[in-house]
Amino acid sequence: MGKIKTSVIGSYPVDIDIFNHVKGYFNQNVISWDKYIESAVKDMLKSGIDIVSDGQTRDSFVNIFTRRLKGCRVRDRTEIIGKVDYDGPITIDDQKYVKNLVPKNRKLIGLITGPYTLTKSCVDLFYKNEKELAFDFATALNQEAKILQNHVDIIGIDEPFFSMGIPDYGKELIDTLTNGLTLPVRLHICGDISNVIAEILEMPVEILSHEFKASPKIFDSFKQYDVKKNICLGSVRSDLPDIESVDEIVKHIKKGIDIFGDKITQLAPDCGQRMLPRNVAFEKLKNLVKAGEIVYG
Amino acid sequence: MYSFTKEQKIFDISGIKIGGQPGVHPTVLIGGLFFKGEPNFISAEKQINNMLNLSKKLGVPSIPDFFIRKEEFIEKILNFIEKKYPKNLPFSIDIIEPDLKIKTLEALHKKNILSRTIYNSIHVGITHEEHDSLKIHTPSSAIIVAFNPKDKSPDGKIEVLQNGANLIDSGLIEITKKIGIKNILVDTAAMAPGDYSGAAIASIPVIKEELGLPTGCAIHNVVEKSKWLDDFESARKHVDASSNVNISLFGGDFAIFGPIHNSDIVFPMIAWQDILISEYVENYFGVLPDDSHPRRILS
Repeated sequence: MGKIKTSVIGSYPVDIDIFNHVKGYFNQNVISWDKYIESAVKDMLKSGIDIVSDGQTRDSFVNIFTRRLKGCRVRDRTEIIGKVDYDGPITIDDQKYVKNLVPKNRKLIGLITGPYTLTKSCVDLFYKNEKELAFDFATALNQEAKILQNHVDIIGIDEPFFSMGIPDYGKELIDTLTNGLTLPVRLHICGDISNVIAEILEMPVEILSHEFKASPKIFDSFKQYDVKKNICLGSVRSDLPDIESVDEIVKHIKKGIDIFGDKITQLAPDCGQRMLPRNVAFEKLKNLVKAGEIVYG
Repeated sequence: MYSFTKEQKIFDISGIKIGGQPGVHPTVLIGGLFFKGEPNFISAEKQINNMLNLSKKLGVPSIPDFFIRKEEFIEKILNFIEKKYPKNLPFSIDIIEPDLKIKTLEALHKKNILSRTIYNSIHVGITHEEHDSLKIHTPSSAIIVAFNPKDKSPDGKIEVLQNGANLIDSGLIEITKKIGIKNILVDTAAMAPGDYSGAAIASIPVIKEELGLPTGCAIHNVVEKSKWLDDFESARKHVDASSNVNISLFGGDFAIFGPIHNSDIVFPMIAWQDILISEYVENYFGVLPDDSHPRRILS
């Protein structure tokens, strides 16, 4: 049972001192963002989480990528105004910074927002062809992922839009993104995935991560499948500020074990915690770690 | 040279027209006072009179920007404005600290001069208290600074204007409109050298095309912080002054050109630049200059 790790899905709340940045602007001083990244990472480490992320503090999980890819223009929703292409490292500098904050006995997950989710989140003013846009995103993200794997221990792909339906090219899309990667890849799809489990199980990734706490009915949906992939069990809600007790989380994990047995390799919140108050996010992580210790030792 | 497809707002701020298609109205020059030390009102009066004379002579409108650093200066500076500055003309109040801003708004209201005030500035650091104060003591005009700490590119600046970039609840334009400020000027937020400083200029046509609001910036700040210019001390003032022509050239409507004592250099430069632009846009786009334009006065 030693292989069970507690992890995060991605984003983490931070308190941004906006006025400090404004003052920096007026004094023509560059104010670093590093302290926010550090604050997120330190919370995760302090809570006892084994696999931490950079906290995605800079932006929404869509804008982090679209802000830096060619062909994208960030507006209320990102607009696609040209051919999407890689324009150089997006998250790499932050991962390098985080790597220095993380002790050797902890791991780092590098997060990539999936190509289908980026496609569905943007307003396409250029391609008029969803599939073509999605594959250009996947190709661009593959370049980021190939660099990213030199600085992290695991790659996480966040594809929430798959829960609404996976296109017939969905597997090929993830294949394009993961092509040439040597690290384990975790695919996170939150929401009710009951109708797309068969396709999800075919995805070319090692670990599947889902929102089991908010959508417990997917436990039952999984029952009819022979799950060969490892599972990251969403165990505390990311959409509610109520802090789950350790006992409640233990019960939830045991329910997961009933379905997935030793296929559970990670415990995590249901989704990114960005929308929660920071103290709530922290307490949820702490209780998740405690519950994991009770169940797995 | 630019001509924008989006309808361009033109505001009449106490007689000074600002905004519109390039080549119609001249670039408005906003000159700063009292950045350092105790306010020197004798010097300030001279500098302001000089600036107003240059405006008259060259057709380039001017607005003084009073920087207030300390609470003890509020009353003194506002009294100076009341007594020494022409009562029909607009002025800008430039303050960083929110507490000082609130106290100054109250004082401006008391003196009944909010209608001539350009509030410099509203930005993502606006506090609830400042917001509430602005709703009670509402100036007719404000400069919005499109500073986005997350993205200093033109897109980042648009983002903070439109939706607040997740740093504040809504976009700066919506916030300003809801406060009740009628005349909104956009400052594209010139950053330090090497920190996307050129984006302040590049953003001007982008913001005008997308939002149609009068747009400009304080590009001279970048010159002030360019350390390599220390080796060229005799050129610094000229580089500082000439940096402002970028604003007009990129379709901008106003330049916050720095210390008012640079007026003698900046005003003729901008007049010349505005004439050049006017000639071109008339030839190419058929856009005619306003009667007050330097091209009408000087050519």
